[in-house]
Amino acid sequence: MDSITNNLIRNALNENRTYLLEPEAKMICIEYGIPVPGFRVAKSESEATSAAKELGFPVVLKIVSQDVIHKSDVGGVVVGPKTIDEVKAAFELIMANVKKNKPDARIDGILVSAMAPSSTEVIVGSIKDPQFGPALMFGLGGIFVELLKDVSFRVAPITENDAMEMITEIKAFPILKGYRNYPAVDLKALSDLLLKVSRLVTEHQEISELDLNPTILYSDGLQVVDARIILTK
Amino acid sequence: MGRVGSSSLKPFFHPKAVAIIGASDIHNKIGTVVYENFLHNGFAGKIFAVNPKYSQLFGHPCYPTVKDIPSEVDLAVVLVPAAIVPNIMGECIEKGVKTVVIISGGFKEIGPEGADRERILTEMSKKSGVRIIGPNCIGIFDGTSKVDTFFFTPEKMGRPKPGSITFMTQSGAFGAAILDWASYAGMGMSKCISYGNMSDVDDSDLLEYLAGDSSTKVIAAYIEGIDEGEGHDFMRAAAKASATKPVILIKAGKTMRGAAAAKSHTGSLAGTYKIYEAAMKQSGIIEANDFEDMFDMAKALSSQPALKNNRVLILTNGGGCGVMAVDACEKSGLIVQELSPTIQEELKKVFPSHCITHNPIDVTGDTDIGRYKVALEKAFLENDEIDGAVVNVLLQAPLLSTDIVDVLDDICSRSKKPIVLCCIGGEYTAKVVNQLEKRGIPTYPIPERAVKAMGALKSYGDWLKKK
Repeated sequence: MDSITNNLIRNALNENRTYLLEPEAKMICIEYGIPVPGFRVAKSESEATSAAKELGFPVVLKIVSQDVIHKSDVGGVVVGPKTIDEVKAAFELIMANVKKNKPDARIDGILVSAMAPSSTEVIVGSIKDPQFGPALMFGLGGIFVELLKDVSFRVAPITENDAMEMITEIKAFPILKGYRNYPAVDLKALSDLLLKVSRLVTEHQEISELDLNPTILYSDGLQVVDARIILTK
Repeated sequence: MGRVGSSSLKPFFHPKAVAIIGASDIHNKIGTVVYENFLHNGFAGKIFAVNPKYSQLFGHPCYPTVKDIPSEVDLAVVLVPAAIVPNIMGECIEKGVKTVVIISGGFKEIGPEGADRERILTEMSKKSGVRIIGPNCIGIFDGTSKVDTFFFTPEKMGRPKPGSITFMTQSGAFGAAILDWASYAGMGMSKCISYGNMSDVDDSDLLEYLAGDSSTKVIAAYIEGIDEGEGHDFMRAAAKASATKPVILIKAGKTMRGAAAAKSHTGSLAGTYKIYEAAMKQSGIIEANDFEDMFDMAKALSSQPALKNNRVLILTNGGGCGVMAVDACEKSGLIVQELSPTIQEELKKVFPSHCITHNPIDVTGDTDIGRYKVALEKAFLENDEIDGAVVNVLLQAPLLSTDIVDVLDDICSRSKKPIVLCCIGGEYTAKVVNQLEKRGIPTYPIPERAVKAMGALKSYGDWLKKK
């Protein structure tokens, strides 16, 4: 089957890459019906500004390089430019930072992305287990995942029922139903996302690890702001 | 992986004729112990000794090879050194033996040389369709058919009475210890299966067989790991089994996978055990933390119906035990459901005024058997708002006697809902508990364990509802 996902995975493996670039991972998301904020890959300052105009301000700029996994660590991310001049400055700053911090990095461009409004952040992930194959993970972002390890797992493929159980079984679930400053979020959209990721990792056993982190949940719908996909050879 | 169907495992447990290959009469040799198990423990089929060194053992003929046996053989038990096991297996295949338990060690577990030898056995089994349990195992104890390959003498390892719990274990020594303990504790067992290196028959095959085994009401399993890529087969087999009977599992080895190797957030959070836990949930397996937990649950699940909803009655003659049971309920997801005013009025009519008629009902230390009977009839049997009962009976109370056994037995036999008991005490209590357990009423020494067993009945009820 000649899907975008198949081509991107095959292409990366042919180039001896075991992780996909963010635009590649997001194209896969789009093919699986997973919502991501609009984005373009800009090779030049002028491409960046016209992309920003097209997408609408403010935007986010991120380095695209097969040699950079942790983009923030090399100064490769600028959040929130609101004008053409700010986009130009951000473009130059990222290029300079990456040249300084990672001189050998091959640069494929800069990702210009529409900015998703802030709201409740969650993480949806997948890991391939040697015994059970792909498994899915779900948890709330930030300290909930990192400090409290408040996450749920299921072996893929999952059913709708499994998806709902994954969501409701974490301790922080009441937050998703609306709590203090947190709005009640679209649980149906979240459950759909888990089912789509389940289908993606079941159909593409080359995926060894996947993070949709953060995924931002709204009262209506959701947006996957960053996507990381790691492959096995 | 169940490639010939699980019915091909039946001769392991119900053989009409067995061959003990490597039988002996030297005191305490495993070939002697196993042969004597079959001779003296009540096995009803034909028993043939095989060993070229003897022409007779204990007054019975001994054959040089399995091929010399003048009868069909359904099960061969192999107790010879590893190096000659492949030859012996070849002879079993020629003879048309249906199933083989290979006790001998010296295979995969010792390294590459042993692994090669084991691969030969797997190939032979695949080609011939002759099923193998083992090698490097203790094999089978079947309380009904008396197939008993456990090479421990009766003085060292007791054999439990027939019952409805089957224990399958990746650790043989653990299996032997459990049998001995069950026998001592008076707990009935259907089977115990130690299946060693799984050269052929593995966890999934056994789960599938036990799903259809009428003498097994509860499957208890101890596993350390599943082979790579076999997870889904295991889940399928477990889901199939748990659709017909409860499956309880202890997974040993819960440590985190090397998180350092993970490149993603998800990877660093996924301990191997997290995924096992998920797999258990998805296939209806009830997870036990340890061996005590496992048999506490098994006892309730083998004698009581599943809990349909989560509303329980707590009945006690000691306030403290009642409170502890309430606390434990919370942890197990059980609700201590308040009793309706009508029921409370009915109880007040018969109870002295110092008794407490809301849930937990406290019939107090001066209770007689009558108060237990009335409380259980009005607040449990005839009350649709209660799904199960946790009953504390502190037998130190002056007016209680062994007569309570009949009353509780009567209530249980009239109930379609589960009941678990807690009796804390010493010698006298132990005597009464023994009688209660003989009637199949699951009884525990502390309220927390009784409630946890009720929690297992809830887990199974929840799973059946999902199906």
